[in-house]
Amino acid sequence: MTHRIVVDLATGTTTQVEYTAEEQAAYDAAVAAQAEAPAEVSAETPAEPTVEPTEGV
Amino acid sequence: MAVTIDGSAGVTTNTGAVYNSIQSATAQASTSGTSIDFTSIPSWVKRITVMFNGVSTNGTSFKLVQIGSGSVSSSGYTSLGSAGYNTSQFLVTSSTAGFVIYDNQAAAALSGSIVLSLISSNTWVCSAVLSNTAGATPAMYSTSGNSPALGGALDRVRITTVNGTDTFDAGSINILYE
Repeated sequence: MTHRIVVDLATGTTTQVEYTAEEQAAYDAAVAAQAEAPAEVSAETPAEPTVEPTEGV
Repeated sequence: MAVTIDGSAGVTTNTGAVYNSIQSATAQASTSGTSIDFTSIPSWVKRITVMFNGVSTNGTSFKLVQIGSGSVSSSGYTSLGSAGYNTSQFLVTSSTAGFVIYDNQAAAALSGSIVLSLISSNTWVCSAVLSNTAGATPAMYSTSGNSPALGGALDRVRITTVNGTDTFDAGSINILYE
C-alpha cells in the first residue's frame, strides 16, 4: 500500500498513514496513465554542458 | 512592564499580547511516502520555514508545497518556480496547485529553505531558494507566489510532488514555526 507521512506537532507523533482504498485506486490509475502516456522529449531537463577547450597561458 | 514567561516558551505582556519564540518540529526522514504532512500547526504562527536537506524522489515530477486549514488546499495558488543550471539554462514553470519547485531530476538532492509568511487574513506568501548539488547538472531553484485565502488559520503544510505519485527516497525535512 502507498502511504504518506504525517507529523502531528500537537502530539509530537509521526505516523505512516496508509492510503484508503479510494486513494489507492486513484494512485494506481494515475500510475497506469503515466505508464501509457507517450514518452516525451522534455525541454525541461537541461542538456549536459558544453565545455569549450581553452588554450594554455 | 511585567511579563510572564509560560511553560511553552511564550511571553505574555501585561496588555495580553503573547509572543512565542521560534519553534522546531522534529526532522523527518524523507525516505518513503508520496507526501509529508506537518499538522496541528498552532494558529498563532505567522511564519513557517520548511527546510530540505538532501531531499529526493524516485521520479521527475516537480516538488510541491501546499498549505491548508482543516485540509490541504490544492488550488488557487499563484506560484512560479525557476531553475538555473550550470549549463546556463534558466527555466520557469507555474502552478496553481501549490508552491512549485522546479526540480525534475530523479537524481537531484534538494537542500535549502522555503519561507511561508502570513501577509493578511489567512493568505500566505512564499519565497524559496534551494540547490541541487547531486547528479550531473547542478542547479539552483527559486520559488515564489501566494496562496488562496484559507478558510481559517493555517494548520498544516504538505510537501509532495505535482503528479502525486512519485515517492520520497532520500533526505530529511523539518519545519520551523514562529
